[in-house]
Amino acid sequence: MPSATLDKALELRSGRERPGQFWKIDLDAIDFSSLQAAAPSDPQIVAPSKPGLIACGLETARRDHAEIFNGAFGSVTGTLNDKFAALSAALCNSGAFVYIPPDQSVDDPIEITYTAKNGALFPHTLVVVDRGARCTVIERIEGESADAVCGIAEIVAAESASVTYAAEQNLPLESQAFFTRAASPGKDASVTWCVAEVGAALSVSRIDVLVDNPGVDAHVNGFFFPRGDQHVDMVSTIRHNVGESQSQTLIKSAATGRGQARYLGNIRIAPHAQGTEASLRDDALLLSPRAHIDSVPALEIGANDVKAFHGATIGALDENLIFYMESRGIEREAAEKMIALGFFEPVVERFPTAAMRDRLRAALEAKIA
Amino acid sequence: MSERGLRIQQLRASAGGTQILKGIDLEVEAGRVHALMGPNGSGKSTLAFSLTGHPGFKVESGSVTLDGADVLAMAPDKRAKAGLFLSFQYPAAIPGVKVANFLFAARQALHPGDLPPAKFRALLLEKMDLLDMDPSFMGRYLNDGFSGGEKKRLEMLQLAMLAPKYAVLDETDSGLDVDALRAVGESVNAMRASETGKDTGFLIITHYPRILQYVKPDVVHIMIDGRIVKEGDAELAQRIEREGYDKIREETAQIA
Repeated sequence: MPSATLDKALELRSGRERPGQFWKIDLDAIDFSSLQAAAPSDPQIVAPSKPGLIACGLETARRDHAEIFNGAFGSVTGTLNDKFAALSAALCNSGAFVYIPPDQSVDDPIEITYTAKNGALFPHTLVVVDRGARCTVIERIEGESADAVCGIAEIVAAESASVTYAAEQNLPLESQAFFTRAASPGKDASVTWCVAEVGAALSVSRIDVLVDNPGVDAHVNGFFFPRGDQHVDMVSTIRHNVGESQSQTLIKSAATGRGQARYLGNIRIAPHAQGTEASLRDDALLLSPRAHIDSVPALEIGANDVKAFHGATIGALDENLIFYMESRGIEREAAEKMIALGFFEPVVERFPTAAMRDRLRAALEAKIA
Repeated sequence: MSERGLRIQQLRASAGGTQILKGIDLEVEAGRVHALMGPNGSGKSTLAFSLTGHPGFKVESGSVTLDGADVLAMAPDKRAKAGLFLSFQYPAAIPGVKVANFLFAARQALHPGDLPPAKFRALLLEKMDLLDMDPSFMGRYLNDGFSGGEKKRLEMLQLAMLAPKYAVLDETDSGLDVDALRAVGESVNAMRASETGKDTGFLIITHYPRILQYVKPDVVHIMIDGRIVKEGDAELAQRIEREGYDKIREETAQIA
């Protein structure tokens, strides 16, 4: 284990202040040095058969695909100076490498499933999509034990490439999840993140898109729904360092029981990034008096010729909507459930594959019940 | 059979601490069309919401019975199950809930198990056709981004699909163009001509008499300042058309 790298990671601050008075966990007080890491393992990978498509574990990637893999691995998340990304990199014990060759269009998703058991998991998924290629990756994070998972998902998309990466974290309720997801799209490339933070007692995640090329189309879609004593802290950041690009961020969150959450939605438009179009929408729904969500859209606009929009709502279920449904004979409880599920639907329907959407709907329904 | 009808007796109701209904007596008979007319602010919508149990309105006294059953003792969904329907003046938009799913849930709640999904869908398409609604409506989110006319058509679609015993249409005609108004009128008439709708009693709440050109009322009730001040036949609605409400207000003020 490269202990100097680990020591440095342990010393880094999370950079996240405690979101609110009800928030019980100090992220900088979590003792990562005592985590017992699991033995190295590969995730389960299911990929369609396509000429030139690579989908394999890290060891195979290093051995057989070094010329593509080595330059890209850590090239995006390594620049973030993030505590959790640094920890994951230092202790990496699982991972997957996906490569799509130029102009290859892959319709069926590549599915990668990480299962935590017998120790903490530090997975790193790297997706490299070459010029003009297109693919969808579905990542599932599950656990047979309550071990912590601290992972990285990294996208390197070349010019005119298009990639959708959907991550579904559904760890056991005693677990802790820390995820860093970052993408670097090339000129005219399209990158879509879909992130569902469903499980774990504590879920800390960041989603980044580094827009360093013109013509980029970036999408961040995400939802979370803490219930019981679950805590969720999600930050998304789109850095428009270069103009003539666009981004859309859509986050839906709800909290019930004593669920606690914070979402920070950053849009940064650099002074010379003229012609940027960015929108951010986040809606938060409070389903119990002790649930709490801090929802903060933060737009930093340095250029003057841009279109930037943000909208945020937070509130309880609207009594008028409940009454409308009741007036049609639907019982109050069922009405509340339909409205709450409907609240998530605009983001759920952006996830790839009907199977995944149905799984997410079922997970949401179970949370409301 | 003597108990049949939606009977409102001495109903007093308030909103935000202000009494708005000051003792309403009104009976909607099964199979008949009643029009409730009155100027803005007379309490027509308050009556509609009080009948259906909106939490923002407080019934202070009086009684409402539906074919003998005590409506005021019921939760809003039970009132619907008893056969009461309200077409909202401002229907709620519910993002993420698709029209077809909502209607199926409502139909199931009111008439459990009577229509398997395939037959439900066929009936839905038939009723939508009658209202000049494109089948794509089924997949849209409930009233989300709907125009005023689309919202009212959807209310009429619900009326047709839910087949209530008594239907209160609150200003269904407001904000509609002539085509939409005709579609609404034809929908009500088609329902009245059908086997399931022939016994439905209607209370059509309106400010303007124009919807009554399409649906002919059997009885017209005039409401001013929270009271029913006058009742008559369809001729009364035509008088309102000619004279407005001021004259009736003057006449009835002297009586009061």
